[in-house]
Amino acid sequence: MATIDSIQTAYIDFVLTEGKQPNSVYIFAKQNDITEDEFYTLFGSFDALEQSIWTGFATKTIEEIKAQEVWSQYNTREKGLSFFYSFFELLKGSRSFATYSLKSHPKGFTTPKVLTGLKSNFETFFEGLIYEGIESNEISDRKFFTERYKDALWIQFVFVLNFWMNDLSAGFEKTDEAIEKGVNVTFDLFQRSPIDNLLEYGKFLAKNSGIKEKMGL
Amino acid sequence: MTNDSPKEQNSIPTTKVQRSAKFVTTGIKIGGNYVKHYSKKLFNPQMDKSELNEDNAADIYESLSELKGSALKVAQMLSMDKNLLPQAYTDKFSQSQYNAPPLSGPLIVQTFKKYFGKTPDQIYDKFNVKSSNAASIGQVHQAELNGKKLAVKIQYPGVGDSISSDLKLVKPFAFRMLGMSEKELDVYMREVEERLLEETDYELEVRRSIEFSNACANLNNVVFPKYYPELSSKRIITMDWLEGQHLREFLSTNPSQELRNLIGQALWDFYNFQQHELRAVHADPHPGNFMITPDGKLGVIDFGCIKEMPADFYYPFFSLTSTNLFENRNETLKAFKQLDMIHENDTPQQIEFYFGMYKQMISLFAKPYINNKFDFSEASFFEELYGFGEKVAKMPEFKQARGVKHFIYVNRTNFGLYNILHELKAEVNTHTYKPHVLQEFVEAD
Repeated sequence: MATIDSIQTAYIDFVLTEGKQPNSVYIFAKQNDITEDEFYTLFGSFDALEQSIWTGFATKTIEEIKAQEVWSQYNTREKGLSFFYSFFELLKGSRSFATYSLKSHPKGFTTPKVLTGLKSNFETFFEGLIYEGIESNEISDRKFFTERYKDALWIQFVFVLNFWMNDLSAGFEKTDEAIEKGVNVTFDLFQRSPIDNLLEYGKFLAKNSGIKEKMGL
Repeated sequence: MTNDSPKEQNSIPTTKVQRSAKFVTTGIKIGGNYVKHYSKKLFNPQMDKSELNEDNAADIYESLSELKGSALKVAQMLSMDKNLLPQAYTDKFSQSQYNAPPLSGPLIVQTFKKYFGKTPDQIYDKFNVKSSNAASIGQVHQAELNGKKLAVKIQYPGVGDSISSDLKLVKPFAFRMLGMSEKELDVYMREVEERLLEETDYELEVRRSIEFSNACANLNNVVFPKYYPELSSKRIITMDWLEGQHLREFLSTNPSQELRNLIGQALWDFYNFQQHELRAVHADPHPGNFMITPDGKLGVIDFGCIKEMPADFYYPFFSLTSTNLFENRNETLKAFKQLDMIHENDTPQQIEFYFGMYKQMISLFAKPYINNKFDFSEASFFEELYGFGEKVAKMPEFKQARGVKHFIYVNRTNFGLYNILHELKAEVNTHTYKPHVLQEFVEAD
């Protein structure tokens, strides 16, 4: 009986051996002794299948980090870092597939189609985290920007993903550095910063020093 | 590594803030340099990046010296070698550390998963994610396994790379600052780079720690932690947690003269046994690498930096310090030449000048060896040493690099040792492990 897992494994094996998607679901099903019907009950297309593999990475990562004993002791930033580290540690086991999949879906300005499922998982996870951070005052709640925080993290994620693909250092140590530095910077920006104070000072001045009148407005 | 370190732990956040602030300002400055560069380039498209690189190097160098990074170590050691450690350097010297921002908890977990396939919780019975203090290029955590308290040292990722790139970056700058030519400086730079890179190899460090602690096992009043190679890897070292106080803390408890002498003697024996019996020495006499245990013994905790002394350096140098070789001008000259302190093509005046200066320098260095006992509390000896160092530093003749590369670490070791003994105000028997010498050492090669 075909399961999501077995089809995913068979598919990964196929694309890595052949370097391309199977020509048709018919051929793929026949090779793996399943029926087309079985395939279609689980996946709409090969692209959807590929997408589900990526989504699986994120789901598994989130499950894994939440199961760690230290999870409850982490603050928001550390939880975020933990996701990044564990995701790329997990991805290491499927590097060939990841490289194949990302290279075969040319990069545009938008998120590659294969990552859409992962992206929505990622966003749900980090939205929760950001909310937690605002609650605990680790992250500052800014008008308009707060909803964009998760986008900043997603950009960071795509950046690290590309960095990792080109990383040739032993044990992908450079990727670890990129995560430690990059994610920390992103979270630094979420924190209350001199810019917030500057803006507030500006607001205060605008309200109180009668700038508008003096300027004849 | 202290057990009662709430004070130290409390101090981490502030330094963390200060550190990141430092990095941020450098970042802003460098960002500013780029802005400057590209706005200039707007008007002059032919402009190359050399000015930009210079600006960056200057800013990075500035921040590195404040951060006491690997680059500072180089600058420090080079100037130390030339200046014989003037007073101003001693403070910096004692705290020189690679100051990187502390590792995040998740990165620590990740490092363990990478090298052992397990999280720290799965390896140790207890593991404290908050580091108890910073080691030179990593941080130390407390852990427990089978009822034993352990110290786990974890290295910052990419330190090796950053050492090489730091050095490349400051090189041109250091040439100008120290007034040396590239070729002269290169020999020394390579020596320092080699040692610094060795320090990043934790597997090597574990091997050496075991080797050296076995070789030194018979020394009186010196103790070493036990190392666990099976719980160590390229970036992680596990060893026993040594209870005790750091030198500074120890001194603040006003120890008796007797105890200070005992610790001083242990230090002296530890260094001189290595230098003269092993011909390889723990070359990082940084006070932070020693602990005074509750039962009054010297604990040695870091074997990251080992300097081996080849025979063609060892014999001429220690024969000069420990014999009456100076009475024989020809043999002395031969030794100086072998040590590259006097060059073949020096003029007779130059020979005369350097001969006199080096003779004075080495006699000073050798003072503790002359009688069987030496009192390191004697301020006059150190004033003489610093005074001489500052005098030499101002002499144009010493702008030029002289002396073989081995001097950098051997001087650092011995002057570092003298300094610690001075801080301890210890009186030491200096005849315990004597140099092996040759009256006509030149025949040795």
